[in-house]
Amino acid sequence: MTRWRLIELLGATIAVKLNHFQALVVFALVISIAFGFLGRRRPKDRVKYILWTLLLFVLIGVGIGWAMYPFSH
Amino acid sequence: MSGEEGLPVSPPEDASPVPQPQEERREAIALVVAAASWLVPGLGHALLKMWGRAVICFVTVGVLVWVGAGMRGNLFSSRGNDAFDSLGYLADLGTGGFYWVAKSLETNGPDVSRADGDYGTRFLATAGVFNLLAALHAYEVARGRKV
Repeated sequence: MTRWRLIELLGATIAVKLNHFQALVVFALVISIAFGFLGRRRPKDRVKYILWTLLLFVLIGVGIGWAMYPFSH
Repeated sequence: MSGEEGLPVSPPEDASPVPQPQEERREAIALVVAAASWLVPGLGHALLKMWGRAVICFVTVGVLVWVGAGMRGNLFSSRGNDAFDSLGYLADLGTGGFYWVAKSLETNGPDVSRADGDYGTRFLATAGVFNLLAALHAYEVARGRKV
């Protein structure tokens, strides 16, 4: 469940509440785009790199999550 | 200096590379670019007229800091208790000017008793490490080693 409890755009206080998966996707998306722009020059290469990195981030993250699942019970 | 047959021997050309003034100037500019890139994410790339990368660096560090602070992640200070605190401080300091932005955003202080706070700590550290990587990239471009 996503809840942006309080966002005071012009103020100093913000509060962000994301679940595990949402945090993972936000992180993966931001870092993939940044790596794509830093690591590749041509737009086509960038798009391919961003999509590939995003996919790997999410899949490996979920995979590690499932691998650790038995240890949390 | 003379050789075995009495002929003068000149020293090899690349035996002691003396930095040319142009090289020194380029190195100085690269250092300034790196420092600017660290202080304000994206500024180094902007100085090199790499506008897309400049915007991406600024937005990436900004979003990571904003989300990290919003999740009440721990922003390490210089008064760390152990090596991990010191490493965390170095990572956070990597965000440059955004370190103080994160400090001002976290008016309620960190809360790592919940998973959100823990994630926020990682977001903040990642922002710093990414900015250091971007500064290194800008430095290498300014030196002419990367494009």
